Parts: sequence; structure tokens; C-alpha cells
Amino acid sequence: MNRRLYAKRKGFNALFLTLSVLAAVFGLVWLALILGELCYNGFSSLSVRLFTEMTPTSGAEGGLLNAIVGSLMMSAIAVAAGTPLGLMAGTYLAEYGRHTRLAFLVRFVNDILLSAPSIVTGLFIYEIVVTKMGHFSGWAGAAALTVIVIPVVVRTTENMLLLVPNGLREAAAALGAPRSSVIRAVTWRAARAGILTGVLLAIARISGETAPLLFTALNNQFWSTNLNAPIASLPYVIYYFAMSADEGWHRLAWAGALLITATVLSLSIIARILESSKRS
Amino acid sequence: MDAPVQDKVKVDIRNLSFYYGTSQALKSITLPLLDRKVTAFIGPSGCGKSTLLRVMNRIYELYPRQRAEGEVMLDGENILDSGQDINLLRSRVGMVFQKPTPFPMTIYDNIAFGIKLYERMPRSELDGRIEVALQRAALWGEVKNKLRESGLSLSGGQQQRLCIARTVATKPEIILLDEPCSAPDPISTAKIEELIDELSNEYTIVIVTHNMQQASRTSDYTAFMYLGELVEYGPTEKIFTAPDNKRTEQYITGRFG
Amino acid sequence: MNDIALTENLVAAGRAHVVRRFGMKDARFHGLTAAAALLVIAIFGGVIVSLIIGALPAIRQFGFSFLYSEAWNPVTEKFGALASIYGTLITSALAMIIAVPVGIGIAIFLTEICPRPLRRPIGIAIELLAGIPSIIYGIWGLFVFAPAFQTTLQPWLIRLASDIPFLRNVLAGPPYGIGIFTASLILSIMILPFISAVTRDVFETVPPMLKEAAYGLGCTTWEVMWRVVLPFARSGVVGGAMLALGRALGETMAVTFVIGNAHHIQSSIFAPGTTISATIANEFSEAVGDLYISSLIEMGLILFFITFVVLAAAQLMLRALERRAGGLS
Repeated sequence: MNRRLYAKRKGFNALFLTLSVLAAVFGLVWLALILGELCYNGFSSLSVRLFTEMTPTSGAEGGLLNAIVGSLMMSAIAVAAGTPLGLMAGTYLAEYGRHTRLAFLVRFVNDILLSAPSIVTGLFIYEIVVTKMGHFSGWAGAAALTVIVIPVVVRTTENMLLLVPNGLREAAAALGAPRSSVIRAVTWRAARAGILTGVLLAIARISGETAPLLFTALNNQFWSTNLNAPIASLPYVIYYFAMSADEGWHRLAWAGALLITATVLSLSIIARILESSKRS
Repeated sequence: MDAPVQDKVKVDIRNLSFYYGTSQALKSITLPLLDRKVTAFIGPSGCGKSTLLRVMNRIYELYPRQRAEGEVMLDGENILDSGQDINLLRSRVGMVFQKPTPFPMTIYDNIAFGIKLYERMPRSELDGRIEVALQRAALWGEVKNKLRESGLSLSGGQQQRLCIARTVATKPEIILLDEPCSAPDPISTAKIEELIDELSNEYTIVIVTHNMQQASRTSDYTAFMYLGELVEYGPTEKIFTAPDNKRTEQYITGRFG
Repeated sequence: MNDIALTENLVAAGRAHVVRRFGMKDARFHGLTAAAALLVIAIFGGVIVSLIIGALPAIRQFGFSFLYSEAWNPVTEKFGALASIYGTLITSALAMIIAVPVGIGIAIFLTEICPRPLRRPIGIAIELLAGIPSIIYGIWGLFVFAPAFQTTLQPWLIRLASDIPFLRNVLAGPPYGIGIFTASLILSIMILPFISAVTRDVFETVPPMLKEAAYGLGCTTWEVMWRVVLPFARSGVVGGAMLALGRALGETMAVTFVIGNAHHIQSSIFAPGTTISATIANEFSEAVGDLYISSLIEMGLILFFITFVVLAAAQLMLRALERRAGGLS
């Protein structure tokens, strides 16, 4: 037995295993730094005024109310429009299409849209909505977010429906139920928690999206719930304030960043719990 | 008084072949199923007995590349005709599966689902129908106080009786049972066997089973299948005491299978 | 007997009536789901068509020179995408150089080294990195990372590299804090969880027997991972990396904050630059003139094309793997 060779192999082993531990530490350190700094700056800027006052002009004091409301309105519309469309398309993939060429194509295209740059979505909506309307608007922002919601819901719906055992479909069909009733009354219900997970993930995804809003909804410094006009949104306001030189705006940007991150992370955690409770 | 007339044929299977893609699972089966009798399909795994059952309500059509050739005459009509409505057929031919398949809804809704597909009725009548169905499946006593709980909360044997209740509630003419007692639960098995006996007064019943004693206890007629072919068919008593075919004899005496 | 037969006929007649409605309901529902599925394709097609139409003026004006011209002058309306394309490619490449080995390292740590009770929490923590919105990375990079980097590590690195021939140009000052390198590092943190999650998942599809056989020969953990597990999981790891690359190429906000928005190609990775998405984000809403807007849209089209190629390749690899693992047929 070649002792020196063996010692060298053991040394290599120790080296690379140490490196992989360091890799994990690398990831965790960044996470801690980012979340730590976010909490530190965010909490110190947090106050009730965030939820009661409008975004201020430079140098003045204020809150984020109009931005929060704008974000909520556009997100709500995007989820309300995107969920049924995504649910139906995902149902087609899992129940009717499964092996058809159309389903293959839809699956392919959907997974591209799922990871495609969201700024391109913004350009798309700019071309088909903003230039046609002649101005930026809340509707355009909501449309851009809808385009982001749909592929997320399609993907999770299909995955979750595929997990439903065929025995359940057979049992319902054996009672004489037509396919549409089997799907709506039995398959959807069996996959309910999973589909809900998909919707939560979609909400989490659009809550932080900034790029598609930049030239669709734009921004509005004042209180506005008019979807036919430019409307403020939390991510846009954070971007706009952070890029400025105003200290007060910076603090508001941090507070907004904390709000968004808290929302997104709690949504993802709820989604994860739902998913794991479904699996066990 | 039982009339000594010959039993009416409810389902007449003629030259039925079945394919999964290119592999043939049933080879020209010809077999009558008698009205209001229990027929058992027995045979070793892979002999095609479950496949034969799945042809009778065309449940196999949920999957691509499975097809049947030949005739299955139900009351004189070929159910394999493309003109036959598949949902209507399945409402006439109920099926209970090997694994219990309660739907993810309440016990009450599990049964109401099937009834409401084809019938509209006032709530009180629906309640009555559900109670009757549960009683017939010998489950009413165990669940009458928790009809609003999920069907998934029941034990395996109870779930299977719920599925039987669900099938009975839709008033089919034929009931197909695909190894309904495979769950190792002796009490439920005894109850289900009793149930089969009772249901046979009204329904034509076909049962697929691995269990020789169960076949001999519950059925009036037995069909022995092997490698996709029907080897022997006859009154259960005769099959189990004096089979014509050597292979049948070997199988029922446990020498292979 | 006859009575029963009669009731049966009545029941059957009633059902036949119901069944006719079923046919319509089924067809309608099937049609609706198929229409929704077609909508997904329509969105995809719509993106391509609308971007091409929007880009037409710029395509007509500049032709292929748009791809290799570095000029970016809104005043004289001379536009070329080279600096942005270069920035997009170089930031993504640097991010991959950092994130791929680290991501694989994390996957090895999670599957082989980490004590079992810690696996889930650490795995979730790493995945949280993917959940943090990109704008948060941007604001953190701008306010926290860049100033700290500018005053500590960056000057030191520049001094260190000043005597080394090639590095002298790559790591040239002055220390701005923001720039290509900072953008790349932040991108690498963002895409890390994509790589480690996919890699961990494919590691888990490696048959335990294969690993046991290698251990049985006396292999060390590292040798088992490097010689057996990684080759077996190769297409999955590459697929996951491509998916991450797709994200990095298109990432907008995290980059926009810290890249410096300079339309020049410089040899130093500490110099400010720009990417396609950062240029669009910075300039689109203030762009005046059809040609300017059209040029930005053409850049969007180029970005979409690049990410499409990368993401399509990623999908093909991951699909092939799924089939092999017998997941989806």
C-alpha cells in the first residue's frame, strides 16, 4: 500500500470538504449581512407615518401610503386576472393535453416566460398598452404583473395536478362523472393546497418586481387610485428614492425595502409550509 | 318462489381482445355475465382479470394507446360502439377499486357527488338517499355523527365501504369490484363479503379477487383466466370441486399462481 | 321483474337527458383550458412580435452596426449596443465563475457533510437568498456593500495588482465601489440558490448503490463526489447553471443600482459599465425621440434572444434528466 498516495488523497479530501463548508458559510454570511443591514436600517426608519402619509417631496417628511396602495391595487388585479388563466392553462397541460404537441410547446414556452427577464415584460406591455393608450397607467402596470403571474401559476398547477393519483380520477369517472366534473370537483380539490402555494409564490414574486413597472405604471407622487393614470408602487418608490441624494428619501427607501422583504419572505414561508404539509 | 327458468344474460362478452399499445392483454374472451348473479374472475397476477373488468365501464379510455376489440353486449347493445355515451355507460356500470378512493371532501359530499351528477332532488330526499346508501354499505352506524368530516379521516376498511356506498347510491345496474378487500382488515372484509351477498339480489356483480376462499364464498359463477385467456367458466361450485381443466385445478388447489 | 325493468328504463331515459348536457359542458371546459394554454403561447409570440415592431426604426437605421458599435449618443442619435451587450455578458460570466463552484460546494455540503438536523434549516436559508427581491440587493449593494468595498478591499486589491502585468489592467483603479465587479458579485449571490438547489436535487437522484460501490472501493468522500456523483449528475448541474445564467443575464434592478451606467468598454472590472437591462431601466422612461426608444427596444429584443437561447438549452437538459429519473413521462 502506497502510504504517501493515500495521505495525499486524504489531504485532498479534507481540502475540498473544507472548501464546501466555506461555500455554505459564504452563502449564509451574505444572507445574514443583507438581512441584518435591512433590518437595522429598515426598523430604524419604520413608523406609523409610513402607512398614513403620502410620499414626500425632497427634503420634506412623509410616508409611503400611496405607494403601498398602488402596489396592492396592481397586485390584486394581476392575481385576480392571472390566477384563473394560469389555472386553466395548467389544467390543460395536466389533464387534457398531457402528451399532445400543443402541451409540449406550451410547457416549453411557459418555462421560458417563467425565467425571462421581467424588464422585457415591461417593454412588451409598453408596446401593446402604453403606446396604444398614449400614457403610462396603473392598468399597464397591472397587465405587466399579470404576465408574470401566469407562468408561475401554470407551472405549479400542472405539477400539483400531476401529483393527484390517477385512482381518484378513475373513481370519479367510474361514477359517470364527465371529465369537466372530475377535474373541478375532485382533481382541483385534491390539489387545492398545492395550487394555493403557486398563487402565494406568484404574489411573492410580483411584490418585489420593479423592472416591469418602470415604464408601465411609472410613478405618482400624490394619492391616486385612478388606474387610468400613472400610479405609485412600493418597488418604484424605493428605486426612485434610493437613487436620489436625499437622506429622508433614503430612509423611506429602507423602510419600504423592509416591508417588501417581510411580505415576500413570509409569503414564501407560508407557501413552503403548505407544500410540506401536503407532501407528508 | 324461484322460477326454474334459465337466467337472463346481462352482459355478453364476445371475442374481446385488449391491447396496451402493441402488447395484447386479453385474447378473444367470450363470456356471459348473468343478471343478478355474482361472477368472480380469478387467476394469477397479470392474467388480465382486472383488464377485463376495466373494459366493462371503458375506464381504460382515460389513457392513451389502450384499446379494446370485439363486443361487450349490455342488454343487447355493444358498449364498445363509438356511439355509446361513455358517461351514461359508467353511470350504469359502477366500479369499486382495489385501493379505497375517497374524494377529498366530506363523507356526505362523497356520496352526494355521484347522486347529484344525474339527479336533482330536494335536500331531505338527498339526505335519505345518503343514509340508505351508507346503511347498505354497513357504514351508517360508524359515520352517522360525522357526516361533515373528511372522507379521508376514515380507516382504510371504512374508506372502502364509503366507496361502495358511493357506488350503490348512484343506482347502477352492474357493480364491478376490483379486489375490494386487498386491505388487510378482516372485519371490513367480512362486512364487504356480506354486502356482496346482499347486493346480489338487485345487482349484477363482478368481482376480481386473488383470494380463492373469497371467490368460492361470494360468487355464483367463476371464470378462471390465465395469460389473457379465459381457461374455464362455470358455476362456482363446479369450478372449485370438479374443474374440467387441469390448469384450473392446479390453480385452485394452490399448486401455482 | 317487469316493473323493475320499467323503472330502469325510466332512469336510463332521464340519464340520457342529463348526459347530453354533459357533452356540452365538457366541450366548453376543454375549450376554455385549451384557450388558456394558447394564451401562454400568444403572450410569448406577442413579446417577440411587439419587440420586433418596436425595434424596426432602429434596425432600419443602424442595421448590424447596432451590434458592434459602442456609440451611445442620444443628442446626435447615434446608438450602438456593444457596451451594454459586453456589460451583460461580462457581469454574467463573472457571476457564474463565482456562483457555480460555490453553488456546487453548497450542494455537496448539504448532501454529504451537514449534520442531518441542520440540513433543512440551512437549505431553506440558502433558498431564502432567492426569495429576496432584486431591488433589495440593489439598495444593499449601493448603500452598504459599495461604500465598504470602496474604502477597504478595493484600494488594497488595486495596489496589490499594480505590479502584476495582466492583473494591472483588469483590476485598475480608481476605487469607485460601484462598477462591473460589484454588479457581478451581487449577481452571483442572487443566482447562488438556483445552482445549489438544482444541484442538490440532482445529487439526490444519484442511485445510492452507485455511491456505495465507489465507497466500497475505498474512495474518499471527495473522490465519490468528483468521480461518481458529479459525472452522473452532470447534465442536471449544467441545466441548473444555465437556468441561473438566464436569470443573471436578464437581472435588472440589482445591477442597475451598482453598475455605474457608463456606456464604455474598459479593461478594468472595477470600472463602471452598463448592461442591457440597466440601460433600459435607467433611460427608457426619460428617452425622447422615436429612434432612442426604438434602440432601447431593440436592446430588449437582443436580451430576450440571448436569454431565450440559454433558457431553452437549460430546459432541454433538465427535461432529459427528468425523463431519465422517471419523474415525468
